[in-house]
Amino acid sequence: MNSSAPPLRIFYLEDNPLIVFHIEAIIEDLGHVFAGSANSFAKLVGNFDAIDVDGVLVDIDLADGRTGPVAAKWLRDRGIPSIFVTGQEAIAAEHPETALATIGKPVSDTELAEKLELFRRTKATSKTT
Amino acid sequence: MDATDSPLDWVLTMAPYRRDAEHLETLLTHNGLPVRRAEGVQELTALLEQGPGVLVATHEALNPQVLEVIRRHLIDQPEWSEMPLVILLDRAVPQARIRAELSVAWPRSRQLYYQRPVTTLELLSGIQSILLARLRQRDIRDRIEREIELRRELNHRVKNILASISSIFQMTRRRAVSLDEFADDFAGRLAALANVHSAVFQADGEAVELSSVVELTFSPYRVKDTDRLVFTGPTVLLRQDAATTLALCLHELATNALKYGALSTPEGRVSLQWSTSHEADLLSLEWVESGGPPVSEPSRSGYGTRYIRSALSSLFSTPPLILFHPQGLRCSVSGPLSHLSSRQPEA
Repeated sequence: MNSSAPPLRIFYLEDNPLIVFHIEAIIEDLGHVFAGSANSFAKLVGNFDAIDVDGVLVDIDLADGRTGPVAAKWLRDRGIPSIFVTGQEAIAAEHPETALATIGKPVSDTELAEKLELFRRTKATSKTT
Repeated sequence: MDATDSPLDWVLTMAPYRRDAEHLETLLTHNGLPVRRAEGVQELTALLEQGPGVLVATHEALNPQVLEVIRRHLIDQPEWSEMPLVILLDRAVPQARIRAELSVAWPRSRQLYYQRPVTTLELLSGIQSILLARLRQRDIRDRIEREIELRRELNHRVKNILASISSIFQMTRRRAVSLDEFADDFAGRLAALANVHSAVFQADGEAVELSSVVELTFSPYRVKDTDRLVFTGPTVLLRQDAATTLALCLHELATNALKYGALSTPEGRVSLQWSTSHEADLLSLEWVESGGPPVSEPSRSGYGTRYIRSALSSLFSTPPLILFHPQGLRCSVSGPLSHLSSRQPEA
């Protein structure tokens, strides 16, 4: 990754606190900012006004059911890009337009580092509006 | 096609002569058996798709087209299903030959033959006993469906637990100074996860009491006949995921206390207290160490502190307060009870 590039602000939608803990550490070690997490789509919607991010990592199955794809679409409609992080890659593949990419679980540091850069590209293009 | 939701408790009849059909229908209906009548091949096909409990047909109704429709239906049946067939034969027909022909035409089926005129009692008890066997097939079908559902749920849980263990592994490795330390820390965390899993399993998928989670986590650190670890608080019924997260947090606090804090000396004490307010929807927890060696804030936060911050923040929706008091470490957190408790599930 480009060390002179400004850090990205990342939010994580995931219902397993151990995985949040792990991803949070990787994100911070990469020099990005971990902007918080929510374990359900409902909580994301509830806290949305307070969330200022460049991108959201989204699990498929959340505390309120299989709401990840709905959440990614909801975010996209608000101009925020998502990346699926899931063990259910087949389900993610059913929603190709909703997220920029899919990262399989368990998550590797290098794959996460690479794919987070996709948020930067979207950020550059969406700033023209 | 196989009508998986069908109750399989109704009778499909087929008789080409109106009087025969009406007679059969009246007889069965009067004895509490729901009947649907097929008058032609198309109707027969449609009704078979809805999953009858049994098909009752007169021999005259079995023209080549009808035989073929029934044959297709029998072949296409799911594993659990074996639709019984009741055939009413005239005394005058070559009964043995017909039986032989039909058992070739209809593989994998149970056939029951009656000679007309049939006595009401004979026919009714035959159909009723055959329907009972059919209802057992329905139970097997339901059991298979439940099993598929359980397997799906199990797969999801196994994947989730593997992801959890992978995260614990990666994070433990990240901070480890030596292989021995890594092995001890990793084994301890896995044991904590395994113990709380047992508690959650024993709770039979229902709520787990906070005090039993605390007891479970503290028991390895208890020394006989001492009260180094004390806890008090009202009954709180935790959801499974909340119980798991709290157990892992308490494990980190306890191992930290054993290595550096109050449990590293014989005089040290740990107290855990919690309180609830149902009106305010609030649960507060406080961990207080005392009597141990003087505490100072570590230069960088380790696994335990980072995990506790991250996990309690997501569980309570507010970050915990972790104070490195010289007299002993303190950790407190409070947040909506409804986020952790199964008594008041989240909206």
